[in-house]
Amino acid sequence: MKLLLIPILLSSFCFSAVIDDYLNALSVQAKQENANFTAFDAKRGEAIFTSKHIGKKGKEISCVSCHGTDFTQTHQNFFTGKTIEPLSPKANPERLSDLKTIEKWLKRNFIDVYNKEGSTQEKGDVLTYILSKD
Amino acid sequence: MKYLLFIAVLAVALFANNGNQAKKNTKPTQKEVAAVNNAFYSKECGSCHFAYQAGLLPENAWRKMMNNLENHFDTDASLDKEEYMTILNYLVANSAEKNMQYKRSAKIVKSIKVGQIPESISKTPYMIEKHNDIRADLITQKEVKGIFNCMACHTTADRGIYTKRDIKIPNYGAWKE
Repeated sequence: MKLLLIPILLSSFCFSAVIDDYLNALSVQAKQENANFTAFDAKRGEAIFTSKHIGKKGKEISCVSCHGTDFTQTHQNFFTGKTIEPLSPKANPERLSDLKTIEKWLKRNFIDVYNKEGSTQEKGDVLTYILSKD
Repeated sequence: MKYLLFIAVLAVALFANNGNQAKKNTKPTQKEVAAVNNAFYSKECGSCHFAYQAGLLPENAWRKMMNNLENHFDTDASLDKEEYMTILNYLVANSAEKNMQYKRSAKIVKSIKVGQIPESISKTPYMIEKHNDIRADLITQKEVKGIFNCMACHTTADRGIYTKRDIKIPNYGAWKE
């Protein structure tokens, strides 16, 4: 039984490692960029995620427009209607599990909603918000 | 004599070959369009929209589109170099003019005027003509959003099949001409 537990614990540890490592790296970078930075904040992340802006397409949208507010559910792309899988890593184990994919979509989606790339702190805050709802 | 015979056989062979070639160009042997057979393409492009078959646009149109992924229909669809090359190579290798044995690919290619490079599949003369008789409100309704959304009405589009009998328009039903 103990022998079985070890790989299970190990695999659950590995599962969360990618996003944890990324957040740690962002945190180090945020401190370098801003001496007053202490920690990422889910409340600030929520504001980033839910506030509306005139996006790249010239329409007022927020992250919620495509991802919804219940991260355990699928949602539809606001423009194309295509189904988007849940943001919650608990509901969708593939989510936030690959560094390249995380960075690609953060870049694209900040540009789509904010017309600019997210800052280190903004990226960390929004990821912290997403994880805080899990 | 042997030499003459050789020439005659060669001539027949060449002629037959030409004939085949001509036939191939004028009459597609396959219906519809080749289905997508690349998982990376399906994942990358299919995250945001229907994974369109590469045989729905000629090479020059795919190249034009791929040249501006940062402003891909006004969204950021940028890829890193390796991903970019994988997608571009797939699209180019399977583009419409390389799939002329498929009926839809051939019709799309033939509909485009020399020198024109369509901005999208929806903007090819073939697609415009094919969707001309549909009431505008059926296309703009929220269940469809636009011609780009193949699967909204073409229930078998993901298999590359766009036949009339597989059409089901939301709030309308089967397509009647």
